Amino acid sequence: MSDISIHVKLFGAFRKFGESIDFSMPVGSTIAAVKKALQQKLNGEGLVFDSVLANNSAILRDHDVLDKDTELSILPPVCGG
Amino acid sequence: MSESIHASVSTEILNIQSAYDFVTDPVHGAVDLFIGAVRNHHEGQSVQGMTYDVHEALAEKTFMEICKEAQKRWGDIKIYISHYKGQLDIGGISVIIAVGSAHRAESFEACRYSIEELKKRSPVWKQEHYEHGPSEWLPGHSLKSGAHG
Repeated sequence: MSDISIHVKLFGAFRKFGESIDFSMPVGSTIAAVKKALQQKLNGEGLVFDSVLANNSAILRDHDVLDKDTELSILPPVCGG
Repeated sequence: MSESIHASVSTEILNIQSAYDFVTDPVHGAVDLFIGAVRNHHEGQSVQGMTYDVHEALAEKTFMEICKEAQKRWGDIKIYISHYKGQLDIGGISVIIAVGSAHRAESFEACRYSIEELKKRSPVWKQEHYEHGPSEWLPGHSLKSGAHG
């Protein structure tokens, strides 16, 4: 099974890990699997599971499937205003 | 017909007059204006400033959705939302929401609705800078319930 490249932009409290993080996942990975992999890449940061992954137009669901190279953003709980 | 919604993220200092000018209209007799500003204290700590991080594309999309929801609920209103991105000192303006309407009730209610929804749904984060101790990102509302479906 081939891999796809995942680029995740980091926001808010995740900024302590840098601007973004890159890693590979098998084709057909779910967003839930990407979050689990991301948590491991971020030293077990538990905040990942209170956060969502999004593209530039929408928040993605845990069961959404990725079949090509993808740019995502990890959005921790929000507090604007 | 003039535009009735302005939704933006700005790295420039927010301008109150621009918000007011956008929502005024000859058929409107009321304007309500909400201004969020950086305060100098939080939970007993002395605050020196705030950094606002924003996912610009999604934030502007969310602001637009909130504006459209407000227009659906309160009818013929003009609405302006702009949020700052970057670092601000005490007193700096972080957000401006302005609503113009025929009568005051719609302006008050739509403005309150908009700021409350913005705080719950918009991808914006605050990092407080303290006089004593390291800066901290503030906790907030999870967007997990907002996954499209």
